[in-house]
Amino acid sequence: MVTRRDFVKSCAVASGAAVVGLRPGAAAAADGPKKGGTLRVGFYIEAATMDPHLSGSKVDRQVYHNIYEPLVTLDTRLGIKPGLAESWSQPDPKTLVFKLRRGVKFHDGTDFNAEAAKFNFDRMKTEPKSIRKGEVANIDTVEVVDAATLKVNLKKADASLLATLTDRAGMMISPKVVQERGVELGRNARGAGTGPFEFVEWVKDDHLLIKRNESYWNKQGGPYLERVRYRPIPDDTVKLQSLQGGEIDVIDYVQPRDVAAVKTDKNVMVVDVPSLADFAYQLNHGRPPFNVKALRQAVAYAIDLEQIVKGVWLNVGYPANGPIPPTSWAYDKAIPPIKRDLAKVKARLAEGGKPGGFEFTMTTNNIPLSVQEAEVIQAQLREAGITMKIRLVDASTLISDGNAKNFEMISFQWSGRPDPDGNVYQFFKTTPGTSFNWSGISHPQLDALLDRSREVSAQAERKKIFSEVTKILQDELPMIFIVHPIEPKAFSQRVQGYEAIPDGMMRFKDVWLK
Amino acid sequence: MAEVVLRRLLATVPVLLLVTAGVFALLHLTPGDPVDAMMAESADASTKESLRRELGLDRPIAVQYAAWMGRLLRGDLGRSIRNGEPVLENVSRRIRPSLQLALLAMAIALTIAFPVAIASAVRHNTGVDRLGTTFALFGICMPNFLLALLLIFVFGVTLRWLPISGYLDPLEEGWSGLRSLILPAVTLGLALAAVITRTLRSSLLEALAEDYVRTARAKGLSEWVVIRGHVLKNALIPVVTVLGLQLGTLIGGAVITEYVFALPGVGRLVVDAVFARDYPLVQGVILLIALGFIVSNLLVDLLYGYIDPRIRLR
Repeated sequence: MVTRRDFVKSCAVASGAAVVGLRPGAAAAADGPKKGGTLRVGFYIEAATMDPHLSGSKVDRQVYHNIYEPLVTLDTRLGIKPGLAESWSQPDPKTLVFKLRRGVKFHDGTDFNAEAAKFNFDRMKTEPKSIRKGEVANIDTVEVVDAATLKVNLKKADASLLATLTDRAGMMISPKVVQERGVELGRNARGAGTGPFEFVEWVKDDHLLIKRNESYWNKQGGPYLERVRYRPIPDDTVKLQSLQGGEIDVIDYVQPRDVAAVKTDKNVMVVDVPSLADFAYQLNHGRPPFNVKALRQAVAYAIDLEQIVKGVWLNVGYPANGPIPPTSWAYDKAIPPIKRDLAKVKARLAEGGKPGGFEFTMTTNNIPLSVQEAEVIQAQLREAGITMKIRLVDASTLISDGNAKNFEMISFQWSGRPDPDGNVYQFFKTTPGTSFNWSGISHPQLDALLDRSREVSAQAERKKIFSEVTKILQDELPMIFIVHPIEPKAFSQRVQGYEAIPDGMMRFKDVWLK
Repeated sequence: MAEVVLRRLLATVPVLLLVTAGVFALLHLTPGDPVDAMMAESADASTKESLRRELGLDRPIAVQYAAWMGRLLRGDLGRSIRNGEPVLENVSRRIRPSLQLALLAMAIALTIAFPVAIASAVRHNTGVDRLGTTFALFGICMPNFLLALLLIFVFGVTLRWLPISGYLDPLEEGWSGLRSLILPAVTLGLALAAVITRTLRSSLLEALAEDYVRTARAKGLSEWVVIRGHVLKNALIPVVTVLGLQLGTLIGGAVITEYVFALPGVGRLVVDAVFARDYPLVQGVILLIALGFIVSNLLVDLLYGYIDPRIRLR
């Protein structure tokens, strides 16, 4: 049971299209926001560390986005907007210059400036336990031009770097706190951030408390809430009941099976947040049977995505045409998801030398939703004469098997990234050694397109490239894409002013309580 | 007596060694890797490699075990891989709710089981007995998670008498702490009550058929005196055995109950640690749970001698 939330969340947390009709706050706009109150938030698991540079756990980010701030941040349509940097420019493809906001102070009273920003980038690159190294690997050096100007020199052009800096890799920690507190920062982030809320205390296994930053630099809107209190509640049903019973005000996720019932509860408000995620299966190109393209296609044509999204996901998601979700500017709705076609299955089986069908094993998570999905696929394939065995494993085993290419077909649930690059490049680019290219696809034309997608910066042109990529993926099938899940969040009726940002992070700056 | 205890405690050393070696081997044989689990969303192989080196995970298993043992002998259980917290600190925080829950559940179980079992045995094969055995059957068959959710629905969501989830320490928060433990303790207590009821009922029936009971009755003793003075004490041995085994299970194995009620106990800790492949944490918790089992079994053995002088330990 424990892996279920861990994995689905660790992989699925991202996401969320901003403006969905049901936005809390829309109804009560007449009253206007008021200050005060404690917002009680229930998450499936507690944070692992308060140090963004050492954080590997996705839930940490939910807290970070209220106490720390990144250089740039996301708007409701996945565009990049100013954060701690008020503007930026790109004199050449390998240089980024940030103009930093003046007068911003960390919660410990020290100044945020270019020196502090440089300190943070250097720490991400050199700290032995840094988990950000990969994200900032393409940053060659960082220079302080003056107190409010930071120059970032890249090793090569990278159109997706700004989007990466909207999260942990762009978050600024007080250098004084880092130097004085050392490893203790992991559990005590007092004074460390610049955000609308300040860290107060973290009683492990019980709660994490943050309070309003009275001297927050941005005087527009909130923070209104006096405090936000995070509590871990691992069981989904109980978490939902805690919301319905009035013990908490916000939950991070509602299971598809509960969505319909919760929407009829008058005390609770559900916000459907379409995600950045893509849930798929990787096919191993390095060993039989899926080293044969025709057999990969046979499986893809045998699967009925509509039926899976309707029957297993209860329509809390969209059938996928590829790795890029409908929330993204790069999504091409002219490319339909692969349709079931048993005649084509027959032809491909014959072409692949297995006219009588074949047998293979799927490796997937031992969590109810994944098991149901696997069973439906198993039945669909059986109708097409293909026998699929199901091997159930826990999340850690799944990742190890994937990295070791020890699978024929394996579940891959990716939470998604704001820039389409994060859903595409690392999965399909030819990479020797360990990478997320578990399928082992190596396709020169695809490689060239992927590299170009990083070099060009015009969005329209990048979109065209990603459309071409999607078409190649539908033909080559390193993955069979199933669904872009919706990630529903639920609130008590007291909660007002929440704006869903499509990365799924819950920023409480402008939230208030009725 | 002191010598017996000492001898028994010494005999636990090889048991603990075996447990730690077994757990260590099993953990490392299980596919999966702590760094992969921690960095599930990163494909950055070089960062992972350097993190593995930093954590000493690149060394041979035997070396890692020896290093762990060496630290253990100095009283250091190491630090969690996932969040760097000292294992001992983590476990000692988690053992409090687990112990409180176990003791409360046991108290509830005994309060229910004794009257029901005695009534069943004394009124053997009557309606009372059938009611008692039906209760026991129900308690044994009812899955924990279902009972927990039913209790939450009735007392938490509908009636709103008790908190739905979460934990407050009764030793610090008093009544509200106790309230947070009632539903989980009842969940565990009912199942345990069922087991004790069945055990006690059958051993009572056995004792009731003994000659000394007939003699006692023939002496004109009242039925209650016969039961309390002669039957009950002789029927206690199997019950104490069950209790001793269950105490260990309740402390380390109440995973589902802890999970459902969001109680930060030892059971959930070990399961989460296994899924994260947090080797030092799993090792540390299992060691302490094994120690708990050994101590509770020792207590049971000592209690035998008290209840029945014929089986005094030598």
